[in-house]
Amino acid sequence: MADVLLHAEDLGKTYGAVAKTVALTAVSFDLQGGEFASIIGQSGSGKSTLLNLIGLLDTPTTGRVVLNGHDTAAASRKQRATLRNDFIGFVFQFHYLLPEFSVLENVLMPGRIAGVSVADLRPRAEEVLALLGLEGLEGKGANDLSGGQKQRVAIARALMNRPALLLADEPTGNLDTVNTKAVYELFRKLNRELGTAFMIVTHDRSVAQQTDRILEVQDGRLLQDVRNSYIEAGPAAEAEPERGPAAGDVVPDEEPALEPETSSVEPPPSV
Amino acid sequence: MLSLSIAARFLRKSPAQSILIAAGIAVGIGVQVFLGSLITSLQTSLVDQTIGNSPQLIVQATTAGASLDYTAGLQLAMKNESQITTVVPTRSFSAIFKKGADSAPLQLIGGQLTQLDTIYDISGHLTSGTAQLGAAEVMVGKDFAEANALKAGDIAAFVLPDGKPAKLTVSGIFDFGSAAANSTTAFVDGAYAAGVLGLGADQYTAVDAQVSNVFDSKTVAESLRAQPALSGLKVTEWQAANADLLSALKSQSSSSYMIQFFVLIAVALGIASTLAISAVQKTRQIGILKAMGMKDRESGRIFLWQAAILGVSGAAVGVGGGLVLIALFTFAGRNSTSLFPIHPQVGFVVISFVVGVLVAMVSSLIPSRRTSKLDPIEVIQGG
Repeated sequence: MADVLLHAEDLGKTYGAVAKTVALTAVSFDLQGGEFASIIGQSGSGKSTLLNLIGLLDTPTTGRVVLNGHDTAAASRKQRATLRNDFIGFVFQFHYLLPEFSVLENVLMPGRIAGVSVADLRPRAEEVLALLGLEGLEGKGANDLSGGQKQRVAIARALMNRPALLLADEPTGNLDTVNTKAVYELFRKLNRELGTAFMIVTHDRSVAQQTDRILEVQDGRLLQDVRNSYIEAGPAAEAEPERGPAAGDVVPDEEPALEPETSSVEPPPSV
Repeated sequence: MLSLSIAARFLRKSPAQSILIAAGIAVGIGVQVFLGSLITSLQTSLVDQTIGNSPQLIVQATTAGASLDYTAGLQLAMKNESQITTVVPTRSFSAIFKKGADSAPLQLIGGQLTQLDTIYDISGHLTSGTAQLGAAEVMVGKDFAEANALKAGDIAAFVLPDGKPAKLTVSGIFDFGSAAANSTTAFVDGAYAAGVLGLGADQYTAVDAQVSNVFDSKTVAESLRAQPALSGLKVTEWQAANADLLSALKSQSSSSYMIQFFVLIAVALGIASTLAISAVQKTRQIGILKAMGMKDRESGRIFLWQAAILGVSGAAVGVGGGLVLIALFTFAGRNSTSLFPIHPQVGFVVISFVVGVLVAMVSSLIPSRRTSKLDPIEVIQGG
């Protein structure tokens, strides 16, 4: 078993000072390096709040997050920014590309924020662009791409600083089924080839079932934390297309069954 | 520097907005350069017209009407004042011009024409006749000549201070551009004046002087008063005798400063509001940059850099525009007697440029702070 990459302890989040809204209560779990996990839950269940807390975008009202051995409980905004830049890549439902910059410049951005020169970053940027099948699009503006291409550029950008953890919040929420499938195939490939841990927020049970571990959040609480035995069978590896997936690819794949390791609680119906 | 390159890109991708802000700064600084130079040159012109052709410092005997000895010590003391550019000893007296039943008082200033010219430039203002002051000659002003139907070559009759009559030939008529000066002042030969006043070769009624910077006349007068060679003499300077003019000049300066100040305030408000809008427009980009790890301070610098770029380019265009306006104004007035040339001062132009950049920078503080404080979660949650 790999070392603990992320330790979430008793995480809680309450919004509002007078009228208080409890978004998350006492969530604890550990994520190992290289894990491929998902957070599932209905809309408003608190799954995005959980992702924002472990991604150090938000601060918990209770509990703490330890990222790669760094206890962030008392970290300043500056220290949290540095940890995000060093260890985490983000992919959101909206691609959040910077429209003023080209594809290459967008991908370079996390490295430039880290203070590395463009010349030193360029080989790495070209490597991740190639990995995502985006060769030839380097000079294009972010607004000149298709939806699938934009999301792949966002993924390339998230991978730029070789993050130990990639957090994805409904990353295919704005994509059609073909691109959705391609993106998840890509995540799986990156997880296997680069050893990057993934934590994917989704409300789609069929998507979650393709990950190795599912954390289910309901009403702000961690309802269940199950490991998918499909990890041992590894059908995803067999289903991997011979070439890297690209927008427009349709990859036939059987939906693996969810087999909880320890589950006395019935999973709630899909949302 | 990442914040600089992002700032430049943001500006380049919103060209209309960037040009509008820079144009606002350019107009403000252009007005500042033009108006400031105009007022300064107007004041210089006014001062020059008022006292340029008259003594700015006068050394006289303490007793009114008494003469002073123009000693070597006094000459040296005057010469040692580095600010003094011209020294002319004169002998002045009042006389009454008589023509039939008409009479008119006149102040006659006696001296050597070449010396008198260094202050009064009588030769340069000659409108008719010859610039010369012979033993029995007088040069009178245009208005005096017209009022008394005198022309060059005429003989004018005077009653001198001692009551004796005198006849002097009008050798030339001058025009100082001031009816008062033209009506009351006339010039005669210094030796003739000495004879009228009964003064010796080294005796004069006054020593007139001009200084390089007219507004330093007070300091120079103070310095002269402290000289032993001037003990028992009084030193008067033009500022003491022209309080109204000085007050008018100060009022003009104040109004000019007020206009410039409010123009800059208007420019600052314009930049601040446009940058604030720009900061709102770029909230999503700033949020995602912060999510990727950009520090608060670095993100705040984006708008400071934007302001600096806009400030430098706007102020540079403004200075250029202001100088072009000045050149046009001067060109338009090259043949006019009512317009005056504007001389832009390098120091003032540099200060205007710096002020333009600073105003832009200060205007960016609010959007910069706002950007610095932005929490990436606000953008991520907002979608």
